[in-house]
Amino acid sequence: MFNYTFQWKQALARLPQMLDGALVTMQIAVLSMVIGILLAILLTMFRLSGIRVLSAVSKTWVEIARNTPALFQIYMAHFGLGSFGIHLSPFASILLGITFNNAGYLTENFRGALKAIPDTQARAARSLGFGQGGAFRYVVLPQMLRIAFLPMTNQMVWAILMTSLGVTVGMNTDLYGVTQGLNALTFRTFELFALAAVIFYLITKTITLGARLIATRLFRY
Amino acid sequence: MFDTALTAADFAFLARGAGMTIVVTLISVIAGTILGIVFGVFRYQVGPIWAAPLTFVLDVFRSIPLLIQLVLANAFLGTILRLNMSGFTVACIILSLYTAAFCAEIVRGGIEAVPMTTRRAARSLGMTWGQDMRSIVLPLATRVALPSWIGLALGVMKDSALVYIVQVTELLKSTQILITRLQEPLLLLMICGAFYFVISFPLARFGGYLEKRWSND
Amino acid sequence: MKQTTLGLGLLAATAAMAAPSYADKLDDIIASGTLRCAVVLDFPPMGMRDDSNNPIGFDVDYCNDLAAALGVTAEIVETPFPERIPALMSGRVDVGVASTSDTLERAKTVGMSIPYYAFENAVVANEGVEMATWEDMKGKTVGATAGTYEAIWLEKQITEWGEGTFRPYQTQADVFLALSQGQLDATVSTVEVANANVASGNFPGIKIVDKAPMVPDYVSLFTLREEYGLINYLNLFVNQQVRTGRYAELYEKWIGEGEPADLTIPGVYR
Repeated sequence: MFNYTFQWKQALARLPQMLDGALVTMQIAVLSMVIGILLAILLTMFRLSGIRVLSAVSKTWVEIARNTPALFQIYMAHFGLGSFGIHLSPFASILLGITFNNAGYLTENFRGALKAIPDTQARAARSLGFGQGGAFRYVVLPQMLRIAFLPMTNQMVWAILMTSLGVTVGMNTDLYGVTQGLNALTFRTFELFALAAVIFYLITKTITLGARLIATRLFRY
Repeated sequence: MFDTALTAADFAFLARGAGMTIVVTLISVIAGTILGIVFGVFRYQVGPIWAAPLTFVLDVFRSIPLLIQLVLANAFLGTILRLNMSGFTVACIILSLYTAAFCAEIVRGGIEAVPMTTRRAARSLGMTWGQDMRSIVLPLATRVALPSWIGLALGVMKDSALVYIVQVTELLKSTQILITRLQEPLLLLMICGAFYFVISFPLARFGGYLEKRWSND
Repeated sequence: MKQTTLGLGLLAATAAMAAPSYADKLDDIIASGTLRCAVVLDFPPMGMRDDSNNPIGFDVDYCNDLAAALGVTAEIVETPFPERIPALMSGRVDVGVASTSDTLERAKTVGMSIPYYAFENAVVANEGVEMATWEDMKGKTVGATAGTYEAIWLEKQITEWGEGTFRPYQTQADVFLALSQGQLDATVSTVEVANANVASGNFPGIKIVDKAPMVPDYVSLFTLREEYGLINYLNLFVNQQVRTGRYAELYEKWIGEGEPADLTIPGVYR
């Protein structure tokens, strides 16, 4: 049919290497999400604190993360910081870049979620004897995370997809990096990247389905 | 910081890259939106079972890194089908489909947000499906969908930074070329980041404003 | 009606007769009037950009010479190292004049001409790192441009030593940027690139340490594997470049004084 000979065997023979890469990809995504969520909670609290400097830090972070390309952020984490003599390994650079991005987007999601929680709840908690921190920690936060659960799974998928940008900062152990390395050796571009695409698809599907399952278990009233 | 080897010619070079970013984004957003509306309405109209193949394909576009989509499309169209396409064309095709995949979701969400009772009322007034879609659904759904759509369009602009992989010299790639020659990474990256920010920030704010204004009533 | 049928029949017959004698790539290039070359432009002095960001360098001139020989105009298509062969395979370029090592693995996919240049490789290190010989790279963080001959060699070396880290970057410039910033301890690059980068002063804090003990990196022009007509032409062209002294001329123009590398290998036919 086509004037092209597919050599799937060459690609399939490298599957174990690619699966190892997929593991690294998962690692980066999970770590960047966990740290990203923690940072986003912190940034949300900054925003709520009413202290001008903290609020400005939070706003600047969110706007830069949301209004520049992720590729730019990752490149900056490696070569931008490098200009100041701060040297991060490719793994740390990509992790920092994605975490920065995650935290920015998640803070915005959390802000949206907070709007859905009536003020009266925090006030009720305060009148029950909770401190300001306690009211946030035990009453507002759990609801906020619940409302923002769907956007959080979306961000997780984004984090997975963003790992593919690591090659620009010398990453060669994640799924995309491994695939590109194999491509340089064999030049079976289509076969190798098609296989990588399938693996990426399976990973993201597993995450979204898993999240949906968790959601139905966790959030029934 | 102000002691720089950057010349007017280099700024012109950067501006050309920025122009490429804007052109690719505009083409992809326009084509992607039209396709997205068609896909979205189709999915809503025929129901989940008949739309399953389309849903699957669109889902694939949302589940695979854009970089891989570009590499694969380039390899498939060029190496396998031997179509003589420029990198620019490949970039626009993929980015359009990528946009359409997200836009279809937004459109479907918009249509679903229009209460069924309102639409039944319109139909019982004797409106045809087309009239109902145009005069009832379109204005109401737009209110729901527009803020997300602005977000999507800006997302596409930022993601267009990846088309360098099919030899399109857009803003980030032009920046890298200049970094190669001038070795002033920090300054050049700042300029590049500022450009994206200057375009994206006001539009994002505008989207946020619309969302706030329209959600109150 | 009848006439149409007859016309269609004639058309079909012509098409059938025309089919076996198809124009090959060489004909296509001459007919189209342009030769599209894949050139890597962050690989000084082989490929780089001048002050107004136009492509210049040894490979750029080589492509122009080839185009002149064919009687067509040259079009330089910039391709990063990992994208050279994909650009050819996807029909975006006709030939690669991109300092491409003629490895057997690659020859499974593309057709290589006889070598048109040969590189020797040098170990370049950050000044802050204690290094005397190439073997001092053991245990260090090293990097090279993804998909190049030296990257493949270096990664193999690191695996053999069992210690140290290897990082492939997308472009030669990123490698030297990382080296100059101290993100990398050392890299292996061609002597030409190493000299040009040290001399340019663009990358402060780097020094050439030692030659890398590699077989000279013979690089070839490449095109589609099945285009024998074009490959033959490329072979003769490389031969003529040496014969006419143009090879030495380009060497002097871009690399400097001295003898350009011998492109023949004693004891074996190509």
